[in-house]
Amino acid sequence: MKQTLTQSMAWLHTWGGLVFGWLLFAIFLTGTLAVFDKELDLWMRPEVPAQKVEQSQALQRALEYLQAKHPQAERWNISLPSERSPTLGVSAGNQRRGGGELLNPQTGEPLAVRETAGGGFFFRFHFTLNMPRTLGIWLVGLAAMAMLVALVSGIVIHKKIFKEFFTFRPGKGQRSWLDGHNASAVLLLPFHLMITYTGLVIFLLIYMPAAVDALYGDREAFGRALRGAPVEQQAGRGGEQGARHERAERPRAAPAPLAALGPLLAEAEQQMGPLAGLSIDHPGRSDARIEVRPILGNRIELTKGRSMLFDGVNGAVLRAPAESRPSQLTQRVMAGLHFAQFGGYPMRWLYFLCGLVSSAMIASGLVLFCVKRRRKYASEAPAARRVSHLIEALNLAAVAGLSLACIGLLWANRLLPVELAQRAAWEVNAFFAVWLLSLLHALWRPTLRGWGEQLGLSALLCMALPLLSLLTLPEPWAQPLHQALELTSLALGMALAGLAWRVYRRQEAAPPLPRRGAVMQEAL
Amino acid sequence: MMTSFFAGLLLAYAGMAALCLGMERHFKQVWQHLPSPGQRQALRLAGWALLAGSFAACVLAWGWAMGPVGWLGQVSLGGFLLLMLLPYWPRLAVLLPVFAAPWLGLVGVIQG
Repeated sequence: MKQTLTQSMAWLHTWGGLVFGWLLFAIFLTGTLAVFDKELDLWMRPEVPAQKVEQSQALQRALEYLQAKHPQAERWNISLPSERSPTLGVSAGNQRRGGGELLNPQTGEPLAVRETAGGGFFFRFHFTLNMPRTLGIWLVGLAAMAMLVALVSGIVIHKKIFKEFFTFRPGKGQRSWLDGHNASAVLLLPFHLMITYTGLVIFLLIYMPAAVDALYGDREAFGRALRGAPVEQQAGRGGEQGARHERAERPRAAPAPLAALGPLLAEAEQQMGPLAGLSIDHPGRSDARIEVRPILGNRIELTKGRSMLFDGVNGAVLRAPAESRPSQLTQRVMAGLHFAQFGGYPMRWLYFLCGLVSSAMIASGLVLFCVKRRRKYASEAPAARRVSHLIEALNLAAVAGLSLACIGLLWANRLLPVELAQRAAWEVNAFFAVWLLSLLHALWRPTLRGWGEQLGLSALLCMALPLLSLLTLPEPWAQPLHQALELTSLALGMALAGLAWRVYRRQEAAPPLPRRGAVMQEAL
Repeated sequence: MMTSFFAGLLLAYAGMAALCLGMERHFKQVWQHLPSPGQRQALRLAGWALLAGSFAACVLAWGWAMGPVGWLGQVSLGGFLLLMLLPYWPRLAVLLPVFAAPWLGLVGVIQG
């Protein structure tokens, strides 16, 4: 049978959208939450004191602490409090090994902070799906390709893009779902295309390694080529490496006092914008080097690894911050557009809201699939009915269940005992346990009732989040960022409650769908 | 920055509302009668002008590089908010920018 273009695109959109929709919803929702990863991180570490402290003062505390505890260390790393995160972190030795400590930025005392998966969990889940190695990254890439396919095929099958630009007719069943799905997709099309495409560009070299393999042979050589860049840097880099090289043969350099850091940071800030932290190589010796890093987001470009190098004794600039070459800049600007570190809180909120609408758009597509199918439900063969029910259950678990699991993670953070061993892992276990339970619940309950219950519970947990803090913390609501997060949770909870209420009313009105158990029996 | 950010948002919403009213279907939805051709023309022109104003506000808030990114977000979200309000409270939806403007003035005064 010959099909028209629209028909084949509609088929592609329907089935491709369904199969990848579950995964895409998870990627989009966790990505949306990851927009506020540091804020979530802070919320999940309520022991961090609320007072705001100047960077210079915090730095002084950090230096005193490191001087007292690690005077012989080869390297000190300090991450300074900034607008988004008032924490002061220090570590000695190689930073990659981790194991740093959080200090009270006012007193310089180490903080006993609970172990937690943190807001970083949403960030990592967003692109790894919590899977080992690069498996998750490949799956997410595949889903992103499917998203691009769904967007383009969606544009082809949508006949009245401009005529129905603002059209939404609620309360009309399938019509309303289609309106909502179309309009949210069309109005936010720039965002959908941008976020999906730039997401793929971030892992460009994992997805398409051929060019790197052909040009450089191995990853190491490529990494070296990336690092050793423009000429004005070579001197600084060479000097640094030379210093490292000499160390093996020569005895330690003579002791020398550290340069005053104040003017040095001021200069770095003037050149690079607000600062995130610094590391000091060979502190207290004549070959000391100070590397200062800016926060991400002083420009659109994702400036990971950008820094300025100073002589640690006389404070001279050894290396100015590098500018990216055009090819690198292109990739980094795209990555930056995706990471949304630029433009401050207003931009962050725009990304968050756009992400929520995107997630809702994907969810509405999933629901639409079932609503359409339900109409022919009665005439289906038992086997097809079982498939329908399975799809309905997976939809429910993928959308409402994941929302429940996300808010469940925050509850687990407050409710699990603070001294629990491997607490962070238990929080993640709780997340997946809630998700699994929601799937079982979805398989067990009639569809609409299941939706009502899971949405209702999510709403309740979101709205009760401020209360949870009140019950579990000695000083709830002290931290302004906590207040903002809990108010946002309250607002989202109210939106979810509204949805749950509509589902409940709908369920009262609609003729009951046969229970899943009944269908199973029928099939047997 | 906050003032120009909210000004951009308001102008983006107002622009989308004007463009929406420039369509026969939605004009009728709000005012219960059809627009004259002149009215439609004027509304469309006003809509594009307001969107241009929103663009300018975003460039003021973020500069030439980040401004356009923020502007697209504001126009999209403004349009989406309008979409959600229109069927439930059509008149409020299109008059919202008028009510919101004094608040923007307040933000401006607070921010100085």
